[in-house]
Amino acid sequence: MAWVTAVYLVYLFVPMALLLVGSFGEIWFGTLLPSNFTTRWYLEVINDPSFRRAFRVSLEVAVSTCIICVVIGLPLAYAIYRAASRGIRAAARVVYLLPIAVPPLVLAFGFILVFSTDMLPFLGSVWLLIGGHVILTLPYLLQNLVADMRHLRLMELEVAAESLGGSLRSRLLDIVLPSVRHSLASGTIVVAALSIGEFQLSNLVAGFLSRTYPIVLLQAFYGATGFACAATVILLVLALAASMTGTVSARATYSARSLPT
Amino acid sequence: MSAPVIDLRAVTFTYPGSNAGVFDIDLSINSSELVAIIGPSGCGKSTLLRLIAGFLSPSRGAIQIGGEDVLGIPPRKRNLGIVFQNYALFPHMTALENAAYPLKVRGVSSSMRRERARETLELVGLGTVLDRVPAGLSGGQQQRVALARALVFRPRALLLDEPLSALDAALRVEMRDEIRRIQREFNIATLHITHDQQEALSMADRVAVMRQGQIDQIAPPRELYEHPKTREVAAFVGEANLWPATVISSTEIETPIGKIVTDRQTLAIGARVTAMVRPEKIELGASSDGSNTFEGELRRDRFLGSTRRFDMAIAGGEIMGETDASDAIASVHIPRQCVHLLPGGNEEHVENKGDMK
Repeated sequence: MAWVTAVYLVYLFVPMALLLVGSFGEIWFGTLLPSNFTTRWYLEVINDPSFRRAFRVSLEVAVSTCIICVVIGLPLAYAIYRAASRGIRAAARVVYLLPIAVPPLVLAFGFILVFSTDMLPFLGSVWLLIGGHVILTLPYLLQNLVADMRHLRLMELEVAAESLGGSLRSRLLDIVLPSVRHSLASGTIVVAALSIGEFQLSNLVAGFLSRTYPIVLLQAFYGATGFACAATVILLVLALAASMTGTVSARATYSARSLPT
Repeated sequence: MSAPVIDLRAVTFTYPGSNAGVFDIDLSINSSELVAIIGPSGCGKSTLLRLIAGFLSPSRGAIQIGGEDVLGIPPRKRNLGIVFQNYALFPHMTALENAAYPLKVRGVSSSMRRERARETLELVGLGTVLDRVPAGLSGGQQQRVALARALVFRPRALLLDEPLSALDAALRVEMRDEIRRIQREFNIATLHITHDQQEALSMADRVAVMRQGQIDQIAPPRELYEHPKTREVAAFVGEANLWPATVISSTEIETPIGKIVTDRQTLAIGARVTAMVRPEKIELGASSDGSNTFEGELRRDRFLGSTRRFDMAIAGGEIMGETDASDAIASVHIPRQCVHLLPGGNEEHVENKGDMK
């Protein structure tokens, strides 16, 4: 099985490596590898106003999406976990499957139909974009949280806390929140990573001034190869940073539970 | 005797949309008494605990704790220490923080509650590893943390919900003595729910046997074992030979395995009863006058270490016996004073549900 892993890793990393090489190459035309080392592509991307704006919009959208997801997701996950009725659980399952069952494209077309009307003329606004990202990413956070609540048998912990004299407030602050803090963190990182990389929906819904980084990046491929590579590497670094933080916090969750401190 | 700490009067509760629940439960637990409730799973013993704790409310009847009617009082204000089956320790808190939690929600200052939690943990036999989270503790240590957490706020009573079922056999026996010691040390009225009859018999001051939502009998362990009121209690508590029987004279009964001579009794001739004989009362060889003697072949012969349990096939049935002799066994007899007659002589075979080893 080792060679399967090796092939997979090569397949995974070669494009990234080539991007990195290309981003530092002066000329890359008709040869296997580019010639001459340069950092000018990075400087060009950084000095490009549309890229700078897109970078800022992407960060804003990602951060807002995270905040909204946490604010909505935490109580919602708690409600789903504690829901006794079968109906609510079924509804929760539908919400879980939404981003897999419904392509973002479909959602985007729906948005265009609804929000280009005179009643709701919000197409192109950053807030609509954030709303779309929340819909697409919330299920991942919910899934993470509900699974963790089940794994921790949070209900049993709450019952115990209640028998020991804990009020609702104390149970939420002392038991529920600290218990799920790691899965909340890792779930949020997933949300951030998904939001930063989202293309399908953003491409159709974003206005000219609210274009996110991946959309602007597409334009780069019509220009110089080195420029496109450098712009992509920046997105890659952003996404990697997000998922790495996710991994680290997931590992912290694991060690906090399994090792004596 | 002072008023009971926990007092249940005609408590009835049924789960919505089902016939399951508890019916007409009368139960009282006196101060410093340990009462165990045993019964097969689904008999309602955990429901009873949840009713007392306040997680369920009875549809009829009254529950008093410390002389105070607690209907409508939420669990957190009932001041009861509960140890749950899986302990339900808070995974993100250390042992010390877990034990200090009840004091925290009662507004005790940080230094004070650490001090008291430490004291209580020491009393339950956990002087070290206080700064470990539950995942880093052994099963027995977790058990002690759960006990300390349930006792630290000096509750009015202690409720134990199958507290030993998650432990392995050797530790379980050790923790029985520990829980009993701790219960005596805190001198606290305790309700102990368990499905392990040996655990109940060895720990409790009184044992209640529950079946189908009702308490069949509540009595001190020895009385329960030696004088069960019903066939079901006899079958559930310990092992027993149970034969349907008909009274044929004041000292004789007729059973499927033949006529058995009993002590003098006053039951009506022709009354249908169940004859109970505990296996350890069976004696090897024939009796001096030849009565109650049965010959047969051993069908099963099990060596259990300190004792040997055998089933002898005889005409009309089997006799289960216990002995420490290792000789071959060709005949046994039943001492007449060891035959107990219980009401009802249903033909239906009664299984021994207990897991007494």
